[in-house]
Amino acid sequence: MRRASWFAVVLTVLFLTPAVVLAGAAKTITLWYPAGDITAGAAHFADKNLFSEFEKKYNIKVEAVALDYDTMQQKIFAAAAGKNVADVLFVDSSWLPGFLKEEMLEPVADAKAKAWLSAVSPEIVELSDYGKGRMWGYPQYGIDVYGLTWNKTQFKDAGLDPEKPPKTWDEFREYAKKLTKTEGGNITRVGYAIRHVGHPHGVVHKHFWAIYGTGGALIDDPNRLRGGKALIDTPHTKAALKLILDMLDVDKSTSLNFPDPRAAFLKGIASMQISETVSIKARQPKEAPDLKWGMALPPVEKAGDKPVTLLGAWLYSVPKQAKNKAQAWQLIEWLNSQEKDFELCKQYDASPRYKANWEKEPFKSDPYDQGLKQMYPYGKKLPINLGLNGIMDAMGGAIQKVWHHEATIDAALAEAQRQADKAIADAAK
Amino acid sequence: MQPGREGEQSPRPASYPRRTISRLHSRHIFHAYLFIAPVVLLFGLFRVLPSVQTLLFSFYKVELLKDRLTFIGLDNFISLFSDEIFQKATVNTLTYVITIVPISAFLGLLLAVLFNAKFALKEFFKAVYFSPMVTSTVAAAMVWWWMYNPQFGIFNVLLRLVGLPGQPWLMSSHMALPSIIIFSVWKNLGYNMIIYLAGLQAIPQQFYEAATIDGAGPVMRFRHVTIPLLAPTTTFILIYDTILALQVFDQVFVLTGGGPANSTNVVVLDLYRQAFERYNFGYAAAEAMVLFLFILAVTILQYYYSRRYEVAY
Repeated sequence: MRRASWFAVVLTVLFLTPAVVLAGAAKTITLWYPAGDITAGAAHFADKNLFSEFEKKYNIKVEAVALDYDTMQQKIFAAAAGKNVADVLFVDSSWLPGFLKEEMLEPVADAKAKAWLSAVSPEIVELSDYGKGRMWGYPQYGIDVYGLTWNKTQFKDAGLDPEKPPKTWDEFREYAKKLTKTEGGNITRVGYAIRHVGHPHGVVHKHFWAIYGTGGALIDDPNRLRGGKALIDTPHTKAALKLILDMLDVDKSTSLNFPDPRAAFLKGIASMQISETVSIKARQPKEAPDLKWGMALPPVEKAGDKPVTLLGAWLYSVPKQAKNKAQAWQLIEWLNSQEKDFELCKQYDASPRYKANWEKEPFKSDPYDQGLKQMYPYGKKLPINLGLNGIMDAMGGAIQKVWHHEATIDAALAEAQRQADKAIADAAK
Repeated sequence: MQPGREGEQSPRPASYPRRTISRLHSRHIFHAYLFIAPVVLLFGLFRVLPSVQTLLFSFYKVELLKDRLTFIGLDNFISLFSDEIFQKATVNTLTYVITIVPISAFLGLLLAVLFNAKFALKEFFKAVYFSPMVTSTVAAAMVWWWMYNPQFGIFNVLLRLVGLPGQPWLMSSHMALPSIIIFSVWKNLGYNMIIYLAGLQAIPQQFYEAATIDGAGPVMRFRHVTIPLLAPTTTFILIYDTILALQVFDQVFVLTGGGPANSTNVVVLDLYRQAFERYNFGYAAAEAMVLFLFILAVTILQYYYSRRYEVAY
């Protein structure tokens, strides 16, 4: 009898051991982010200590997994369809409409969204708010603001004031002509480098300033999710495309032989380019340590016009198919708290999001951060329409056709208008 | 025990009762099925089932994450034929096929004839020509992307060395497709060469001897003996290369992403974008079905046409 009791006790202990061990073990959640230098902020996830405080405090282990940027959207979607997706997704804001079309993301709780929108700066509100205070994710610190960057040494050599970037399109063309270098009839340095190859979305991103700077837009209501009309075949877009076409054909101050404006700028074979300033800031010390550069808002069509530039961000989101939603939101809220915003921005030399943090040093007096702050009010995010992917494909395709002399401006834009309207209508079905 | 082997007595089938033969026969069939079952199962699971699903999807609006399929009949196909981007992708794909298939077949034959002769380091050079075939397309395309770079790429450096102007290669909507074709020829050449070489070595020598006795020179022998007797090999290469070329994707995705201005957009890339960037799975499935039917038609046509030239020796 006694032996039987002992046996029962041992069996019970053996039976309960796995449960006790499992209960005490840390839960693991996954975060997917893009590998490489696609965005400066993604590189921070490779820091092993980034989550250690969170892991200790909440007994949750965070596994950050880098995915190839080019196929990341596809992997996320396939994984979501297979119900085996990460708990936290770090995604490009321009992917959001596609994900929303498929109802793939969890919304941020109303109360949390309200608190966030009231605490952060206006540019972060612009990037976070998807209409009536609805949020689908938190934009990361160090948001992208597209700006004109110029090589100060090359400005000086060309007889231009290195502290004065071009303000209007006329000045811009004039400066670009002066900065262009040719050897034996071939352009060896462009005054302005354009993005004309690669994914059509990237082409639109880098020409957004000109389209919106003339008063144009991609769609009639940028804050409408379903329906609407594309605004591609308009005099504004025509003027924006003609600006670069003239620089290519008339001024010969830019060229189709220069693939990536940022790389060309950092290699010293382009004197001006317009893209994410945060990227130049992150890459310059490593790739072009001697480069002296300035940044400013992109030029406007004529003096007195209000400049417009593109705002973009990477967002922390939770997919509906996530297995550990509560823990995922815990991590996101921890990472995006006011304290962590200050701490991480200071550590990684990035611009903060909270209004209160902008009042603190080093951000308060850092010339780069203050430069960005002056540019933010002119920033616009991409429309949130569910057909955005199609609109961008159409617009990007039209830009490429015109600059590559595949079609006239009128023909390319008329075709793009049809394609974009179809994409909007299809997405709204 | 194998019947008819030397030193063994052949069993006489007639001496077995009919039931025993039938039982043995059915057992053999059962074993045969058992042996091929894993392949059939895996093939069915990963090839046939997705293909049937693709066919079904092409008649639906597919919303995978919502687990919703809406039957729309032929709507996807109708939209497809008025889609300017799909039309452009089809034209590009056909241009690619029409160019790459004959060029790589011809060059493969040329190399095979060269390697059919005896010379020093033959095996080494054969390995060199075959090596692109066993290299990952993506990795090789990345290297070629740099080689095509207008500023720093090796091609423009060489052009400038001989006093010619540098070319925009992948940066130009007129040169991007030819640049991809050049890469693909380089990549596929070794495979065609090996297949042709096998075909050449299978031609019995007596045909050449007979032709020589009849007074045929090397060119005549090549034209009237080699080429006709290589017809089955050529048929295989043409069908195989056409099927592969119609499905071109990796090199386009890496080298140009379909640009500039859709000048290198191909059908598979377009369906990939429809499926994974716009989440139009039904539409992408319709594109896949059109491509499948096209490949099937081309293959049947080539097969029946080439039977005219079939030879036996």
